[in-house]
Amino acid sequence: MSKLLHDIKLIGDDIPWLKDMRSAGRDAFAVSGIPQPKAEAWKYTKPIRFFAEDFTPAPRGEGCLNPNKNLPFNACKIYFENGVFSSCDDDLPQGVEVLPLIEAIMFKPEIRGKIGALADVSKHPFAALNQAYLGEGVYIKVAAGTKVEKPLAIINHITADQELRQHSLRNLVIMDDSSQAEIMEYYCYDGELKSSYFVNMVNEIYISENASLHHYKLQSEAYKAAHIALNSVFVAASGEYKSFCLQKGADLSRNETKVILSAEYAKAEVDAAYIMNGWATIDTTTDIEHLKPFTQSSQLVKGVIGGQAKGVFQGKIHIAPQAVKTEGYQLHKAMLLSDEAEIDVKPELEIFADDVKCSHGAASGELNADQLFYMRSRGIGEEEARQILIDAYLNDVIAKIDNQEIRQFMSMAANPLKERE
Amino acid sequence: MEPLLEIEDLYAGVEGKEIIKGFNLVINPGEIHAIMGPNGAGKSTLSNVLCGKPGYKVTSGRVKFKGKDLLKMSAEERAREGLFMFMQYPVDIPGVSVTSFLKHAVNAVRKHRMEPELDTMEFIKLVREEGRKLGLTPEMIKRDVNVGFSGGEKKKLETLQMSVLKPDLAILDEADSGLDVDAIKIVADGVNALHTQDKGLLIITHYQKLLNYIVPHFVHIYAGGKIVTTGGRELALELEEKGYAAFVKDNQ
Ligand SMILES: Nc1ncnc2c1ncn2[C@@H]1O[C@H](COP(=O)(O)OP(=O)(O)OP(=O)(O)O)[C@@H](O)[C@H]1O
Ligand SMILES: [Mg+2]
Repeated sequence: MSKLLHDIKLIGDDIPWLKDMRSAGRDAFAVSGIPQPKAEAWKYTKPIRFFAEDFTPAPRGEGCLNPNKNLPFNACKIYFENGVFSSCDDDLPQGVEVLPLIEAIMFKPEIRGKIGALADVSKHPFAALNQAYLGEGVYIKVAAGTKVEKPLAIINHITADQELRQHSLRNLVIMDDSSQAEIMEYYCYDGELKSSYFVNMVNEIYISENASLHHYKLQSEAYKAAHIALNSVFVAASGEYKSFCLQKGADLSRNETKVILSAEYAKAEVDAAYIMNGWATIDTTTDIEHLKPFTQSSQLVKGVIGGQAKGVFQGKIHIAPQAVKTEGYQLHKAMLLSDEAEIDVKPELEIFADDVKCSHGAASGELNADQLFYMRSRGIGEEEARQILIDAYLNDVIAKIDNQEIRQFMSMAANPLKERE
Repeated sequence: MEPLLEIEDLYAGVEGKEIIKGFNLVINPGEIHAIMGPNGAGKSTLSNVLCGKPGYKVTSGRVKFKGKDLLKMSAEERAREGLFMFMQYPVDIPGVSVTSFLKHAVNAVRKHRMEPELDTMEFIKLVREEGRKLGLTPEMIKRDVNVGFSGGEKKKLETLQMSVLKPDLAILDEADSGLDVDAIKIVADGVNALHTQDKGLLIITHYQKLLNYIVPHFVHIYAGGKIVTTGGRELALELEEKGYAAFVKDNQ
């Protein structure tokens, strides 16, 4: 048996289609294994380094403290403790359905065919592994025409008291026609900082005609953790997917977003920021597929890398032959805080249509010494001055967050000095 | 009475190049000194050395500020102790508003003096009021530091920073360059308003005109890395008439 694959008893093995999906996941992962350094999609990130040791799935209910972490913004909260669904606020807005994924699998036969359809196990080794353990996560459905006022916050809290645990979570989000919602994913921990664990996330998101989802994520895992996430999104005609992800924790982190703009006027905005120090590797990977005319995408990704850390950005824009009159923009910028910090950037444009507007750009720089001195000459301490400049650098990408409270939360999270206050 | 600043036989430079060679100066509380010198003489170098700009190296000599060894302090400690440099070329900081920049600075200084941090509303009122006196509109104060400011506006912003930080000793490096006739007066008024019996000013300028507004007690001519002549207010007028050659030749 491959490393990371373990024979454990899972709820729902008596449901044939679920059992089949799990074995398909196992089989695919048995073939691919953990991506090797030569694997094209992982050549910069090299995850193998992290998996020198094995990680085992946590027994159900292990270390459930449920401290109900408070969020500094108004939201309807869905909690996971150590990778297990623990609770959901009971004041769900009208038209919003939230269920633990396993219950949705049992009682909502219509999701069969949706789950696993966007996260292809033959292309994504970690999605295959995730599917091998399929069952934990949340199902969210927003009914047609519903405009959800309060963001839905999914809090994945790790007490991190057990060494070498593996948490596989899958969320299925269905936005029906003309619905609107905001989802915030928050990954955090408490307790023994030094423990190593592995969070393996898959989000499958369906955005129907004219619907809109704003998807925010803050990855603030413990510094020896691995966090690997695949967000696979399908957008129908005139639908909108807008996301912002801040990665600031873990030793190995990847946030991969694949968006299929499947019909005319479908739109995606995928923005991200990352801040990393120490020895960590932090990866932002995007893949936007424009399949039809008049589709639009834009990406702004900004990173701040210090210590001996490594930032990776791989951004692909694919424009299919019939997708004329589309627009696709991508910009990656990184600030390197030390000589040993590294960034690897791989933009890829595959344009098969005429009459499109498409561009990509990348830039990297350092903290400006004159700006730093100017601030210090006014009495601002060096550490604070650096932080102010980093804030200023990330300002434009954080400003893309429409929800003011979440924007403020992210801006605090991006600044360790502010967070301490 | 203890001098504010004592510079004794200072040798310093940048990038391995010695620029300041045997510089001496004492500034007592209440005094205004002016330094005039040809382009490239090392006037900005002197202010950078005094303010602790990275890259500037002191090879020998002593500098005391309010009795303390200035050269041992970091740039921010010097500022917190009450030293201010009005820069010849103020720096743009996109993404950082004037208000937030000044708030960080003022609070850093107050913290050093063990005073409580200023309340945000109070602070904004103060900055607006000081800005108004200098002709800086609330809109400009909301903008990012020096971004899109004209040359003259940048100098006014330096003056605003000085008004808010209230330093014991300010070094003004060409505060007048690029200013129109009215603006020189506004900046000078701003500087004069801050000057009290316990404070000092060191004015670096090429033109005696500024000295009509900020009247110095001493004028020094600086060339070849040191002060070559010292006189009163009238020395600046004499210099304007005769040029540097007359003074530099005598001494070298
Ligand atoms: N970073 C540096 N590297 C090398 N040389 C420098 C550097 N900074 C200043 N210099 C040199 O040191 C000398 C003094 O420069 P400084 O700017 O101090 O002159 P200044 O007296 O202020 O002139 P100005 O009146 O034109 O402002 C000049 O010859 C200048 O080229
Ligand atoms: Mg100069």
